[in-house]
Amino acid sequence: MKIFVSIDDTDNIESRGTGELASILADDVEKKGWGISSYITRHQLLVHPDVPYTSHNSSMCFSADVDERSLMPLISYAADFLEKESAEGSDPGLSVAVAERLKDPEALIEFGRRAKQVVLTQKDAYDLAQKLEIHLTPHGGTGHGVIGALAGIGLRLSGNDGRLKGGLKIGAENSIFSVSDICAHPHVDAVSSMEGYTLEPEERVRMGDKMKTVLMGGKSVLLVMPSGGEPGDVPWRTCPRQLLKIF
Amino acid sequence: MWFTNQRGEEEFTGGQDDWAGAARLASTCPYFNPDVEEEFVADDPVSCYNCRYRRWSTGSFTCLKKDKA
Repeated sequence: MKIFVSIDDTDNIESRGTGELASILADDVEKKGWGISSYITRHQLLVHPDVPYTSHNSSMCFSADVDERSLMPLISYAADFLEKESAEGSDPGLSVAVAERLKDPEALIEFGRRAKQVVLTQKDAYDLAQKLEIHLTPHGGTGHGVIGALAGIGLRLSGNDGRLKGGLKIGAENSIFSVSDICAHPHVDAVSSMEGYTLEPEERVRMGDKMKTVLMGGKSVLLVMPSGGEPGDVPWRTCPRQLLKIF
Repeated sequence: MWFTNQRGEEEFTGGQDDWAGAARLASTCPYFNPDVEEEFVADDPVSCYNCRYRRWSTGSFTCLKKDKA
């Protein structure tokens, strides 16, 4: 069965990031034979003076295909892991949802969207988690990370929010690849323009440095833009990182 | 390059899209310290926008090392 695991608020200004803890957790799911983990997505939440956050106010989420018997050991392990590995002064939260048991996915998606727009409370998060029967627990400090952890699952479920953790390396900078070759990479599902045009398999793209994909339409998408029309150049080049900050 | 916001904190005047300005500031800052990869937003790796000591605000960022620089 497919599950979503999301964590938030595990770091401080000097520590390793929440993304690294999510990576370790996703790897451990596989090492322990519980299932197969997907890529990790980073979801930006509201930056507001009334929202306490230790470092960035972004949450991390991954999905995994696991055996049903693995669910409770996995949750228990993740809880212990966060308590041991989260940084001093952080307020970690953990959420785990089983996709097929989600009673009202739209309500969870809406919670994620609202967490990007308005100040939510821990009570808001616990009330929704209880209603939807989603695991949601605090693991240190004020436990304020439960809001972002739950929102992270909603935003991942929306299929249209967040950047994938980790850089994408396909050839050297300025090398040219076809879309079909790019999509052969395990972490790229499609190549699209910022305006939503999905490139055809035979179209060619000039590669940039330190590329990243974003979550769009439930897929890991490499975004491209017109290359500028230099004579002999290919029509598309990958978007610079600074254009991806809106995701 | 800085203004005092309503909370009395000093914020970067360039907002969140002054890529050249943020890179220029970071290039001479003794406290620049790259953040974790997933929090990088600027293409220039040495940029205040990629620094672990920047704290995003609604329209810009504050610097946790500003008073020490």
